Amino acid sequence: MRHALAIARREIRSYFVSPVAYVAMTVFALLSGFFFSNMLVYYISQAALADQQIQKIGRSDYQLDVPTVVLGEFFKNEAMVVLLVLPLLTMGLITDERRKGTLELLLTSPVRAAELVAGKFLAALSLFGVMLLPTLPYYYFLARGGEWEPGVVLAGYLGLILLASTAIAVGLFVSSLCENVLVSAFGTYGLLVLLFFIDTSTTAVRSLWSDVVGYFSVYVHYLNFARGVLRLGDVVYLGTIVTLVLFLTERTIEAIRFKRS
Amino acid sequence: MITVSRLTKRYGRHTAIDNLSFEVQPGEVLGLLGPNGAGKTTALRMITGFLPPSTGRVRIDGFDLYDNPLEAKRRIGYLPENPPVYPEMTTRRFLEFVAEIKDVPARQRAAAVTRAIERTQLGEVEHKRIAKLSKGFKQRVGLAQAIVHEPKVLILDEPTSSLDPKQRVEVRELISGLRGTQTVIVSTHILAEANEVADRVVIIHRGRVMAVDTPASLAQRLQARDVVIAEIHRGAGADDPAGAFDSEVRRSLAALPGAARVEVQPRGEGPGRARVESAAGTDLRGDTAAAVVLRGWRLVGLAGETLSLEEIFLALTGDDGAPA
Repeated sequence: MRHALAIARREIRSYFVSPVAYVAMTVFALLSGFFFSNMLVYYISQAALADQQIQKIGRSDYQLDVPTVVLGEFFKNEAMVVLLVLPLLTMGLITDERRKGTLELLLTSPVRAAELVAGKFLAALSLFGVMLLPTLPYYYFLARGGEWEPGVVLAGYLGLILLASTAIAVGLFVSSLCENVLVSAFGTYGLLVLLFFIDTSTTAVRSLWSDVVGYFSVYVHYLNFARGVLRLGDVVYLGTIVTLVLFLTERTIEAIRFKRS
Repeated sequence: MITVSRLTKRYGRHTAIDNLSFEVQPGEVLGLLGPNGAGKTTALRMITGFLPPSTGRVRIDGFDLYDNPLEAKRRIGYLPENPPVYPEMTTRRFLEFVAEIKDVPARQRAAAVTRAIERTQLGEVEHKRIAKLSKGFKQRVGLAQAIVHEPKVLILDEPTSSLDPKQRVEVRELISGLRGTQTVIVSTHILAEANEVADRVVIIHRGRVMAVDTPASLAQRLQARDVVIAEIHRGAGADDPAGAFDSEVRRSLAALPGAARVEVQPRGEGPGRARVESAAGTDLRGDTAAAVVLRGWRLVGLAGETLSLEEIFLALTGDDGAPA
């Protein structure tokens, strides 16, 4: 796996010499900040309203634990930002290597396909980690709205990282199939939206079928993290998806070579 | 050092490479010669492990490429037809990356990269982005990445195509400089190039081996006929009609002993061009010159013609030269 680190380092460097990384980070930071401040303002005003009601009539329907509600809503929105931004970071991962002919260099070197996949995955995940950094000061502002629980935040970030890993793995897989980056991006969007929201196809009537399909929704599992609930089942489910898709990617790269090029 | 045995690549019903077998001795430079579309690139991709063959085996320095790919690949340096480079990296950074994935030990990496840069004369562009380099420099970066880990086996796919003549000479000299220390397979569709750099030549056509020999004896074997090209001027004061002159040239040259076929192309007021074919080994240059001068014409140019690669393939395959 030594080669995986070399490949990851090279990939991260190339992210940062092109505008891609900076644009992605900026968009991510702006959208995250926008959603966060909107919700913070909204729920704080709701809480103020509740305080007034309590003073007037002694009770309120708006009794709110502001930090917990804000965090839940914030992490829900972050899932959408991930869905929007990450396919643009993964679309070229293998596709570009094929286009430039550098895949020929990598695959005639003593590098295993698994090392190539691991390196690419690590590179994109590291960039996502850097993208999360500007969200850290939010908790300073959150603390002004009341007591907040670090546990909820940690669960949210763990969920976010697992969700991003899923998006990256799927993007990497689609990228290994495509020779055109736009096809790669569109394919990734399609597959991710399906994987995220497959449960919405069944919400009308509850049945065993809807439960089973609902279970496969990545977003449903993610919502538990967003609510601050850490369940082993969710971690295992998302981890399995990531591993499975990465394994498929490795198989695809081996199989690419059997195709006529 | 390299053993290729019964390598075959099929795509559906199309056979791109058919039963390719040859051996390359340590230190030898082998030329893989064939017209475009003969299967040279496919063959090299299989020998480097990029493309798995349908059947057949490749051994590199005793390691089977498919049973023991990592050991075999460690011993291979490969320059594909288009140099595989990351344009956003600088030359040195790129070579350091290649050295790392080729398993050059960390402590020797900087020295290995410096040596590769020296051997390919890349010093002046060492810290430039590859995207900014000229085609010739890019090709040298490609060559540098192939040799940075000092592989025992070097495989070069048309290393001089897309270069200008001066750069071609440089790359050929570089390859010749590797002779003896490295085992090299170099593909080309230019016969002269194979003659110059290779110790031995494998000619492939439509995926099949047509001939394996040294360049010199191959040329001898294939030289089915000699050709003389003579440029002839009517001479001052002559005023007979052009058509008569042409047929007279044809007649007098065809009368030469050994001449098999004569063609004449009139060129208006300028010199006419006559092409005389004869059986192999009979050099008609002297006789042609004498015949022309004897008639009082002026001999403006005279040259023997070497067979083009296309003609050699025709000779080898008895093919009508239809696109392969």
